[in-house]
Amino acid sequence: MAWSRKSAMFASLSIAMYLLGLVLRNQQLVTVAVVLLSFLTWAAVRITHGDVASTGRRMEEVGIESGVQLENIVAMRKTSSARVFEDGEVEVTLRIQNRSNLAKVLELRDRVPEVMRIKKGANYVLMEIGPQRETEISYTIETPLRGFYSIGPVCIRVQDEFGLFHNEREIPLFDDFLVFPKMEDIKDAMIKSRVPKIFTGAVNIRNPGEGSNFYNLREYLPGDPMKKVNWKATARQDGKMMVNEFERDAVSDVIILVDSRAVSETGPVSRNSLVYSTRAAASLSQFFLSRRDSVGLVVYGDEIVSVDRDTGKKQLYIILTKLAGAMAKGNTPLKIVTNRIMPHIHRGSPIVILSPLEDDPTIVEAVRDLRARNFEVTVLSPSSLEFEFDARRIDRTGYEVLKTERDTMITELRGLGAYVMDWEPDMLLFTALAGARGF
Amino acid sequence: MSNSESSKGEIDTSHLYEGKVVRSSAPSRKRAAGTIKRDSSIPKEAIPEVNVPNWIETIFGGPVVTKRDFLPPDRMVISLQLRASLSLLILCFLTFMLTPVSGTVWFAFSNIIGMTAIGVGVHLILIVIGLVGGFFGIFQRDQRAIVISYIALIIVTIRFAGSKVEFGLSFLPEGEIIQKLLLILYAIFLVMYIEISSGIIRFSQLDTSIRTGEVYVMNVNKISKKYSKALGITPAIAGFVAMLTLFINLIVPAFVSLFSTVAANRLRESVELTSVYGVALGTVLVFMVVAVLFGANIPGRIQDYRENQSSAGK
Repeated sequence: MAWSRKSAMFASLSIAMYLLGLVLRNQQLVTVAVVLLSFLTWAAVRITHGDVASTGRRMEEVGIESGVQLENIVAMRKTSSARVFEDGEVEVTLRIQNRSNLAKVLELRDRVPEVMRIKKGANYVLMEIGPQRETEISYTIETPLRGFYSIGPVCIRVQDEFGLFHNEREIPLFDDFLVFPKMEDIKDAMIKSRVPKIFTGAVNIRNPGEGSNFYNLREYLPGDPMKKVNWKATARQDGKMMVNEFERDAVSDVIILVDSRAVSETGPVSRNSLVYSTRAAASLSQFFLSRRDSVGLVVYGDEIVSVDRDTGKKQLYIILTKLAGAMAKGNTPLKIVTNRIMPHIHRGSPIVILSPLEDDPTIVEAVRDLRARNFEVTVLSPSSLEFEFDARRIDRTGYEVLKTERDTMITELRGLGAYVMDWEPDMLLFTALAGARGF
Repeated sequence: MSNSESSKGEIDTSHLYEGKVVRSSAPSRKRAAGTIKRDSSIPKEAIPEVNVPNWIETIFGGPVVTKRDFLPPDRMVISLQLRASLSLLILCFLTFMLTPVSGTVWFAFSNIIGMTAIGVGVHLILIVIGLVGGFFGIFQRDQRAIVISYIALIIVTIRFAGSKVEFGLSFLPEGEIIQKLLLILYAIFLVMYIEISSGIIRFSQLDTSIRTGEVYVMNVNKISKKYSKALGITPAIAGFVAMLTLFINLIVPAFVSLFSTVAANRLRESVELTSVYGVALGTVLVFMVVAVLFGANIPGRIQDYRENQSSAGK
């Protein structure tokens, strides 16, 4: 049984009045003190009656149907989905049963993660629940940020009518769910491999071959099928027969590196480099996997977490799960990451690096190594400077100095033959990708 | 067809970037340099709004959601306001009747300077402050005014009484039992005024929280009925316990008379037992019994018994 400030005030007031009454021999004060003490005592007796004390268990340990229960109060929760995307919604239904034969007045709060917003309904309910009755509470939460989250426990408070004392217990009922980074539709990533794998697929690479995208015109050679003859071009070449060449369709490996070092979380919670990087990685993975490419993911922060290259929808969910759990921690240099992964990927494969390009002296060296081995490197760099400046956390002078340093670094990387884009906060991913290619 | 048309139209991307309109090209730094101030402080809107209740709010609010700006009162709050103002009126009248100015600090001070009217004036002013502050607090739902009213109405009773029950008005009865009953009535009204006025704030907070969607209340009528019922029962019980305590000078001799009439008569004539120290003895006895009940977890056992009995009945 816990005391509220009101009951503490009542108790101290009554004791003070009682003692003062004895000292001043004032029966009026003593009478008031006795009535106050009696009032408190009766409230304490009544709160003991609203007993909810017992232990509960995690949801997994019991059958869903039986729920998790305190002595007489049973809670069961259902969520509409265990996997949602950022800015998605989860509908939560909480069933509360009173298995006692006495009515209870309960104050109930289903604890939701702090970053979540209640969109509809309420997770905080005050209710009178009759004997052997059950009731259902529904509410909808918005999921603005990626990550692993748990709903629960269910906090129950029984208090007396005057708010003097309360009993508080938690029903350890938890429901875990995953928020994936949201994805942007990309029409074309403009990232193509020069190294085909042996299987043909839907992706055209920059080599002529059997495919559907126009690549070049060349003179007719014996053996070319007549359907490839470009008659208009032939007419313009004074009878010299010209044929169309197409880009070869093939699948390729794409490796996405996501910088999740501590520095990548600089800026507001919902607008920082890591948020943008994870969203970009998710969008790119979806795009490449829909092209039937093999996509691999490396997330580096305090450790290097990698998802081996694979194709298909399952791979997308594996990647999304890793991205959802990416935490801004540690300071692993890019060079260590590239040294570790380079032996395992085909030369010439596209590598997309998503990094704020800060606090890492090995970036230039790492990109130089990759370029030297003929990897096609695209760097998308969400600028934490812009996030900081937008939130007015740095002044103009500081911004300009840091911006100059950043521009120098980007120029140096471009000089190495990497496609680099200084990705500013309000720019669409597709625009940033196009910008990296100089469009 | 319709899909392709809509995809060609203007794309709403506001959901992607927290309601901001998204540009399709890089923002112009030149333009930004001209518009953004050199202020490096954190903007006000970036600091999350945290409502930390002050100590007065916590006294009134208890564990309910704290909100100071109340919406217009609902029926329950209006009914509590009426009840509180009625209690306050009766309380002030009882205070005026039962609390003489003699024995108070201000009376002693005014006596020293030879102007007793000042002492009487201060006494009346304190009661008026309690009354006016209380009414203002009740109807404006101003917690500070209510606290001032409590303080004024308690201060006015602090006086040296010399173990005699003495009233402010001379026409009041002088019988011991009726005097003590009047004192109990006064104490009950004081406690009820404190409770109902704090109930106004609690229910206003609750009502505001319900209407703003912070909390959802099921069976709100049953909850308010329970409160109203408790407002009837609790003072009656508190009054009964106070009676046991104050009438200990009658109860103890009656109990002793079962064993010895002489001892009982001596106890009845005891000045100490009739005085404030008798009341202290009564308090000790009554609350010792209460402590034993709590120590043996009797309320919990009664609860278990009630639940088991109901289950067996089913």
